Amino acid sequence: MTTMNMVQAINQALSQGMAKDTSIIMLGEDIGTDGGVFRVTDGLLSKFGPERVIDTPLVELGIIGMGIGMALNGLRPIVEIQFQDFIYTAMDQIINQMAKIRYRSGGEYTVPMILRTPYGGGIKGGLYHSQSGESYFVHTAGLTVVTPSNPYDAKGLLMGAMKTDDPIIFLEPKRLYRTIKQEVPEEEYTVPIGKANLVHEGDDLSIITYGSMVPTVLDAISKNKVNADVLDLRTLLPMDRDAIFKTVEKTGKVIIVHEAPRTLGVGAEISALIAENRIDYLQGPILRVTGPDSPFPYRMEDYYIPGEKRIMDAVSKLIKLR
Amino acid sequence: MADTKTDNKTKFIKGYTAMVLSRTLDKKIVNAQRQGRVGFYTPTMGQEALQIGAGMALEDRDLIYGYYRDVPLMISRGVPIETILNQIFGNSADISKGRQMPSHFGVKKFNFMSVPSPVASNMPLAVGAAYSIRYKKENKIVLSTFGEGSTSTPDFHASMNLAAVFNVPVVFLCENNGWAISMPVEKQTKVEIWTKAAAYGMRGIKVDGNNMLETYEVVSDAIKRARAGEGPTLIDAISYRMGPHSTSDDPSKYRSQEVTEGSENDPITVTEKLLKGMNYIDDKFIESIKAKTQKIVDDKFDECEKIPPPDPATAFQDVYKNMTWMLSEEVGGIL
Repeated sequence: MTTMNMVQAINQALSQGMAKDTSIIMLGEDIGTDGGVFRVTDGLLSKFGPERVIDTPLVELGIIGMGIGMALNGLRPIVEIQFQDFIYTAMDQIINQMAKIRYRSGGEYTVPMILRTPYGGGIKGGLYHSQSGESYFVHTAGLTVVTPSNPYDAKGLLMGAMKTDDPIIFLEPKRLYRTIKQEVPEEEYTVPIGKANLVHEGDDLSIITYGSMVPTVLDAISKNKVNADVLDLRTLLPMDRDAIFKTVEKTGKVIIVHEAPRTLGVGAEISALIAENRIDYLQGPILRVTGPDSPFPYRMEDYYIPGEKRIMDAVSKLIKLR
Repeated sequence: MADTKTDNKTKFIKGYTAMVLSRTLDKKIVNAQRQGRVGFYTPTMGQEALQIGAGMALEDRDLIYGYYRDVPLMISRGVPIETILNQIFGNSADISKGRQMPSHFGVKKFNFMSVPSPVASNMPLAVGAAYSIRYKKENKIVLSTFGEGSTSTPDFHASMNLAAVFNVPVVFLCENNGWAISMPVEKQTKVEIWTKAAAYGMRGIKVDGNNMLETYEVVSDAIKRARAGEGPTLIDAISYRMGPHSTSDDPSKYRSQEVTEGSENDPITVTEKLLKGMNYIDDKFIESIKAKTQKIVDDKFDECEKIPPPDPATAFQDVYKNMTWMLSEEVGGIL
């Protein structure tokens, strides 16, 4: 065990994966010599060489398209897109190619590829370095969407992704890159994709969240002594329905917290799943605490990202606080 | 030299035979669409010489990242016409299980990558595949085909730039048929397409795409360079789309027919003249091959038409390696 932050944990996962499997190859902007703008790929170029750690020209659709082509010819590419905000010019490649090739080729061709990208706010990045666009991907059959909330899960989920035969969108909550340190095993391990994690147990209500909001929720309930289940989804597509239902059955009160805008966010799907399947257990409305339906502001980012106050406002609507 | 001559004779006759098969199949499918027996098709008539010329230059192990107007290229690869017809019908023998519109082929056995509808989307994939070929030290190249309309897309630009920067073994073959649905090439771009290569530091060359032999030579040379690690080439193969964009299109609304079947610019006429001049074929051969081919196409068409549609359950498979719980739940309510 070593104490690591998320950047170090992801770096170690990449390094161990590449050392073991020569079909793993990485490409992206500034990932080689510079080690990535967040330094996630630091040192990998000197370990694995420029043929495997590829600094690319500045073209997201080309980088992702190349990754797909590599995957089709037997490699396991890991593509880094510098900020999730910059991914949109490549949406045709993601939605029409990466996600659909297995299906449209009748299963003849597959795309075992990981698309890593930092997302979310909290680094004073303004409109175009802060977006949480997970819903765009969660709405696309053929993709698997994963987002860790801590260094341990980041390494384990990424190592699991490297063994998966379908394309994975690996969303890294950039606000947490260096803010949390945790004991992480040096050896290889995987965290199962598609399984949520109950990160806090309580009886009074359930808070369902993921990615960058997990520590915020945990802080809020600990500070205010809220006796809550906190479920970290870890995988957004496909969601761990059983874990969601289990906590709903236990507490009957649900708050969903995410940073992405509310309308058609992941929380909408969770609410619908609960309403369709477990409405008899509910003892109150399903509440959502989310980013507003606006672009992400530069100076006022603390107003945009849900914080303790808004989480506690929702909690107090469902339970009497001591 | 004598051997080369014999080789060429066999090769060119085979190429001509493939042209006749492509044309016969093309007309058969278009007519069947008019009769309501086929849903949709993108005719390839007029582009046979360039596609088959290119196909002859490839080795079986080479990869093709094509588009939705590449039937002659597939035929030159040896893809059986049943495979093509089964896709057109979307029947239970179709490789893509009736999921894709007609003309969107993919045949892994023949290294022909599955085709999407958005144009030029397969081009960046071709570059990635070419990179992986070099990384894995495979003795292959990638042929990337697309129409001239595709050269306006960001995917084209990205692919040209990436291929040149990484110096990967890919050959870009622009099937310049003059028309992107209703847009003539003059309105699509201000310069000749082959000249665009210079902007990327890539070799660019124009060829008469209606001449199978010239196209074969130009593509062979580009492939040789790619195999030798000398990088990519952009080939601008000038041709003409004799048919409509698709069976849903009526070209009389936007153009007059410049090349008609059997006219002197029809690539089949051009090839017949060339091969007759070389004493490789004669009128008797032409007549007999056309009659024979018609019979084969008619028979195979009827055979494939009779194959039943796919089991509806297959429509929801292959989204992932393992079906998600959401999809199994949803499918449960449909089937």
